[in-house]
Amino acid sequence: MQPVYVTATAQCLPGAPIANDRMADYIGRLSPEAERFGRLTLRQNGIRSRHYAIRPDGSSDWTVAKLAGKAVRDLIADAEIDRAAIGFLATATTQNDLMVPGLASGVHAESGLPPIELASLQSVCASSMMALKAAALQVAAGEHRAAIAVGAEFSSRYFRPGQYRGTATVKLDGTLPGDAEFLRWTLSDGAASLLIEDRPAAHGLSLRIDWISLRSFADRFAPCMTGGGAHQPDGSLKPWSLHGSAAEAAAAGAFQLRQDVDALYRMLPVWLGEFMRLVDERKIDPVSVDWFLCHFSAHSLRQEMARLAERAGCMIPDERWFTNIYDKGNVGAAAIFLLLDDLMRSGRLSPGQRILCAVPESGQCIMAYAAMTVVEGDLQ
Amino acid sequence: MNAAIPTTADNRALVEAAHRGLAQTWIEFESALAQVPVVARLLAGKLRLEDYRRLLFNLRQQVVEGSRWISRAASNLGPNHEELRSLFVRHAVAEHRDYRLLEDNYVAAGGTAEDIRAGRMNIGSEALSAFMYHAASRPDPVGLLGAMYVIEGLGERLAGPWSQAIREQLGLGDEAVSFLAYHGANDGDHLDMFDRALALAIADRATADEIVRHARIVARLYRLQLEEIDHV
Repeated sequence: MQPVYVTATAQCLPGAPIANDRMADYIGRLSPEAERFGRLTLRQNGIRSRHYAIRPDGSSDWTVAKLAGKAVRDLIADAEIDRAAIGFLATATTQNDLMVPGLASGVHAESGLPPIELASLQSVCASSMMALKAAALQVAAGEHRAAIAVGAEFSSRYFRPGQYRGTATVKLDGTLPGDAEFLRWTLSDGAASLLIEDRPAAHGLSLRIDWISLRSFADRFAPCMTGGGAHQPDGSLKPWSLHGSAAEAAAAGAFQLRQDVDALYRMLPVWLGEFMRLVDERKIDPVSVDWFLCHFSAHSLRQEMARLAERAGCMIPDERWFTNIYDKGNVGAAAIFLLLDDLMRSGRLSPGQRILCAVPESGQCIMAYAAMTVVEGDLQ
Repeated sequence: MNAAIPTTADNRALVEAAHRGLAQTWIEFESALAQVPVVARLLAGKLRLEDYRRLLFNLRQQVVEGSRWISRAASNLGPNHEELRSLFVRHAVAEHRDYRLLEDNYVAAGGTAEDIRAGRMNIGSEALSAFMYHAASRPDPVGLLGAMYVIEGLGERLAGPWSQAIREQLGLGDEAVSFLAYHGANDGDHLDMFDRALALAIADRATADEIVRHARIVARLYRLQLEEIDHV
């Protein structure tokens, strides 16, 4: 197959960075208890600032399609090729603006691209890697010479008090269960994009994509991060569409995002097991990784992962981790592209360096890794 | 004891490779276990008291053998594995009356001591136990560390959550789940001991491979034991 390269990267983070003490102005105030839980969550995830596409009054000029569209327009503006040379667009997100049609249509409309082949990948964080792999394979197979993968999230709109009040999720004291509150203090908004081509850029550095691996472990895990269903007393998840009416589903809390935090820790060994498999298959050599871009949702998870990795000889030393979560927040399906864009612009890359990307997804347990090599500009 | 651990770079790489092999064995084991009917019912919140009693009854027939095969393995560890032998002996002592907790739990869950003591191993327990004795009877049975990894892993990773789920689903008291709860609380220490043992035992690639291979065999036979509940 044709080798493929990331030749340009871009990001769109709406508005100014919002510090922890101003978060509640944007996602709204449920109760003092909820904010106490928020501060506890922030201590665990270590995030200091993030961006929101929503205004304090709950209005917004953005949609997730517009965020992604902006990241695509900025990408094209920065690319060495004309927009007409791009044949494929893959989008990744957790929740599209609309249930129908797919996000890729909305992003195409916002992007200024001419008629193009599309793929809408919807999952949680790992949807980014699904989009990247789709784009990389399209180019590697010779179907297109250039493709775009874009990830975008607009989570803050789901976290406004109006999305919870009057539903079964709110407890008598005005608090939410931990699995609903946790995400309000974890996720934020933004988009980032990659241009994939069948050759390196002529100027500046490119990233050769060496391989992408993605595996689901839904054979052993129940859904653990969910939206669109309400948990029943027997533990099962009832899709909103099987409630008597949309209003009934809403009252049951079916439209809220939930994250079973304990399940994250149960998934850790599985995520790391994938790393070990790739080490044993000689795809990953921990010693030769120069930059480790690991999307993790909380600082405490990172510490736990390091503990497990140590004894299996899978630890990549701290100084090789490249992260931006503390300043840019957890942007779900945009996160890994945001990391790559920041790394490309950091001035710290040099030809020959090896990059390992890791994207765990808690949804129903997915683990994705990708390896890239920094290559020099090719004037040919 | 740490001073006795060989710390050459070669050994470290082999120990790490064994850890990787064992971790992946565990992941496959845990996944497959979730499909075994009795475990699937437990995980789905649909366990019945009778299920729990049958589980205890079946487990007891194999657990009662546990410290015996470890002791046999200890006696077959030669002069080159003295340190490992003392770890095995201590482990056997720590475990050898475990089955009594299990019998007490069975009684607390509504069974009788006479019944459970008169039980026979199911088909899977026979296979598991036979393999353990077979492996333990060979000279320097270092591979059995892989067997211990799986059994201790069950205790450290699953017994705690299982004991809690069983209590909640069946409304039982502590006295009915103490076997699982004990292993949930204590096998973490056993796994620390296991890490030391692994570092002591692995001198070459063949040993590392044997340990992982034993873990894979025992994982499959343990699952067989749970699949063959009451099939004697």
